[in-house]
Parts: sequence; C-alpha cells; structure tokens
Amino acid sequence: MPKANDYAILFDASHCTGCRACQVACKQWNDLPGEATENHGSYENPPSLSADTWIRMKFTEGMVGGEVFWDFTRDSCMHCTSAACVESCPTGAVNYRDGGIVTIDQDWCIGCRNCVEACPYDAIHYNEQTGVVEKCTMCYDRVSNGLEPACVKSCPTGALKSGSYAEMKKLAEERLAQLKAAGYKEANIYGLNEMGGTHVLYVLLKHPSTYGLPVGLKTEKQKIASGWLSAGIAAAVLGFAGVKWLSDRREEVGGES
Amino acid sequence: MKGGEWGIYIALYFWLAAMGGGAFLISLGFKDRRTRQLGAWLALIGIVAGALLLIADLGQPARFWHLLAGIHPVSVMWLGSVVLALSGIGLFLLIISKEWPDWLVWFTAIMVLLVVGYTGVLLMATARPFWSGSPLLPWIFLASAYTTGAALLVLFGSHDSRLTRLSFNFAIIEVVLVIAHMIWTYSQAKPAVDASISGEYAWAFWGFIVVGVLIPLYMEAQRKAIALAAALVLIGGFLLRYFIVYAGQVDVMRF
Repeated sequence: MPKANDYAILFDASHCTGCRACQVACKQWNDLPGEATENHGSYENPPSLSADTWIRMKFTEGMVGGEVFWDFTRDSCMHCTSAACVESCPTGAVNYRDGGIVTIDQDWCIGCRNCVEACPYDAIHYNEQTGVVEKCTMCYDRVSNGLEPACVKSCPTGALKSGSYAEMKKLAEERLAQLKAAGYKEANIYGLNEMGGTHVLYVLLKHPSTYGLPVGLKTEKQKIASGWLSAGIAAAVLGFAGVKWLSDRREEVGGES
Repeated sequence: MKGGEWGIYIALYFWLAAMGGGAFLISLGFKDRRTRQLGAWLALIGIVAGALLLIADLGQPARFWHLLAGIHPVSVMWLGSVVLALSGIGLFLLIISKEWPDWLVWFTAIMVLLVVGYTGVLLMATARPFWSGSPLLPWIFLASAYTTGAALLVLFGSHDSRLTRLSFNFAIIEVVLVIAHMIWTYSQAKPAVDASISGEYAWAFWGFIVVGVLIPLYMEAQRKAIALAAALVLIGGFLLRYFIVYAGQVDVMRF
C-alpha cells in the first residue's frame, strides 16, 4: 500500500468536463511534440497514449436505453505500489522513487519493451527516436520542488488534485460519501487495491469497467509465480514423457547411430 | 510502430533457442559421443544466434550489458538473460571438453531447460490476454522445443527411429495444447484468436498446423523423405512462434 506521505493525485470523474487542459499542460511542461492523428468520430484524441503523450482524457460515449452517456476518465500512469513495469524491468531502469513515484532512468534503459508488454494500463511506451521507454513522471521535477504536477495545476474544475496520499484518500472518501448521498449508487473509488494500491486514485460515478478500466488485476509477481509454477509442471510432465519415449526401444531399428 | 512491440527478432529468437536447446536436451538421452556433441553444437549456435538477435532488437543495443550489471530476480527477462549467458558458457565448456563431467552436464542441462522454459513465463507475465490468459504457453513452448529439437537432430543425420517417434508424439501434444490454449483464452483475447484462425496471421497458424504438423506426420507415417519432413517440422516451429508473438499484440492500440 502507498505510504501516508507519498505523493498522490486524485481524479474526480464527477468534476471532469473533458476540456483536456491537462493533456496540453503535460505536453508543454514536458516538451512533448504533438501527434498526427485522424478524426475517428470522437472528441477523444489521440486514440491512445504514446511515448509523446503521457496523459489523455478517455471519452466513453454511447447510448443506453435512449439516453446518451458521455463520460471522461484520466488515462495515464497510475504509479502503482506493485508496478508491473518495475517488476518486469530486467535492468532496474524503471523503478520506484521517493514518495512512491515510478520513473524511468533513460540513461540506463536498454529499450527491451518488457514493461510496455507488462503494464495493465498501457501507460508506458517505446520511443523509436531515443530507443528507450517513456511515460508520466507525475512531474517529479515539479512535485519534489513543492509544485503541483502540470496536469493538476491546469485543471480548471478541480477534477484533478494532488497532495499526500493520506490527504487524497480522505478527499476521495469524502467525495464518495457526497455522491452516494446525492443518489449515485454505483459511485466508487478506483485504485485502493489495484496493483498494490495506486498513487493515483479515481472517484468514479459508475463501475470502473464502464470506463474501460481494468478490474480484477493480478500483480506482475502473481503472474510470474503462476508462470514458473506452470513451466515447472510442464518441464516435469513433458520431460518424463520424453525420457520414457527415448528409453522405450520397441520400435528401434538397427543399433544406436 | 503498428502491430505491436515485440516482432520478428523475438519470434526468431524463441524459435532458434528452443530448437537448439531441445536438440541438446534430447541428445543427452543418447550414449554415443557424436549425437551428444552434435546436440551441444546445435544448442550453442541456437543460443548465441538468439542472444545476438535479442541484442539487435534492443532500442539501445550497446547497453545490453546493463542486463548483467545488477540482480533483478523477479524480472523474467533478467533471469532469461542470465540463463542464456550461463547455458552458453556451459555448452562451450562441454564442446571443448574431452570427457563430459557429470556436474557440468547437469548444470548445462538445467540452464538450457530454463532457456527453453522461461520464454513461456515471459509471455505469461504480461498484460496481453492471449499470452497471459492461460497457463499453457510454457507447455506449448517446451513441447515445441522437443518436436523441433528432435527434428533438428534428424536433419543433421541422426537417423534413430526413437527421434522421429519423439518428434511425432510431441507434435501431437503441441497441437492439442495450442487448440486448448485458444479455447481457454478466447473469451479474453477474442481479437488475437480471431486473427490467428481467420485473420491477419491465419497463414502462420494454419501453416503451422498443415506444413509443420500434418504433412510431416503423414510423411513420417509413410516413412518417406524423413529429412524433408524434419525440415517442415522446423518451419512449423517458427510459424508457431510467429503467430503467437504477433497475434498476441494484435489489439494493442497504436496510431
């Protein structure tokens, strides 16, 4: 679990208007270039994160029973406490920093992309120009100097807030209580248990899966453990079969070569 | 980078290392020096060529030594690079040794088994549902290592009926496992399974089934052109890796 004094961000979906000021602020602070994209029939843009886009607003839209819904969620690194990118990294370049933030040492990264394959949030991406991976740093350069992350600073509605983990969790719980009282029965907090607890918490009005957020996640360590267990059983069973077939000489023609 | 992150070098590496490694492990079941020496050579070539492909695939190839500059035992890829290095050393020592000391044979065999086995764990420990949705990838890769390893020994002149039978049996197990894997992962990885059966990578999947398994099985049953059948099995082993690597990333959103 994140520590009480860790850095944290709170995203409140009930306050987000989908203005994407956070996207722009992130690009500006981190000197990230724009993306060449094509209109795919939605205000959502770009269609996914990339090495040059570390945060974007995900637009979930459609019709349910004649009612239009149009929901926005933050799509970016969650700064997990048990992060798949860190645990899959073979060099330690992707690692936890002070205050629970996950960042990449770009002078040490070898560009193997194991973290890209492992991240359940698709938040880390390979930059073909630099040959290393990149993602949201929670503006480590800003927060370690007492400033808010660029996305939070730019948010005009208060949907993004930042502070200590304990503060953010308390705010989230208060907001959840308000929403429940106002009749939002499905309102919930996302990130309290996912991947060991994430340093970014979401207050959501509906079930996380309706926003396309992954639920029922296994941590990287759990996946690796079950992988080795399966491989061990496979090695024993298939090895036993192989030895048996090699030593069984019923069909042998002629001697050993 | 459309179509995913890990591509042709990775598929080739999975294939070469498993084929060579499988040949070495099987050759240990033979008493004669020629077959054992052949197995060690094939594994060394497969593992060295595979390791070079892995380095070439890195975004920063010159930094490959960072892999061995620290200890990160949780990372499957770190463990994989260590066992690759150790198995290479073990195989080299075996090749230059006149007598094969038992401890060295055991050590090398375990390292080579880990090389062959870790690749399935590597793919299972990802967020790609086609790779992580079932526990069967290590089984498939191990079975395929024995199928292709035995075929490789046959291709290099070890004409022992036990080898063709071994290849034959593991090929059948492999197909059953691949089909079970696709059924198992279908609910989570529909785009990947569809791409394998009828979509973008159907040529590789059906190529594996027909060219890599059915035709060689028929030829072996007829006892015809054993070497050609073995070569087809090897091609099938590559097509298997190819469609698993590529189809697993088919729904990764890139623009």
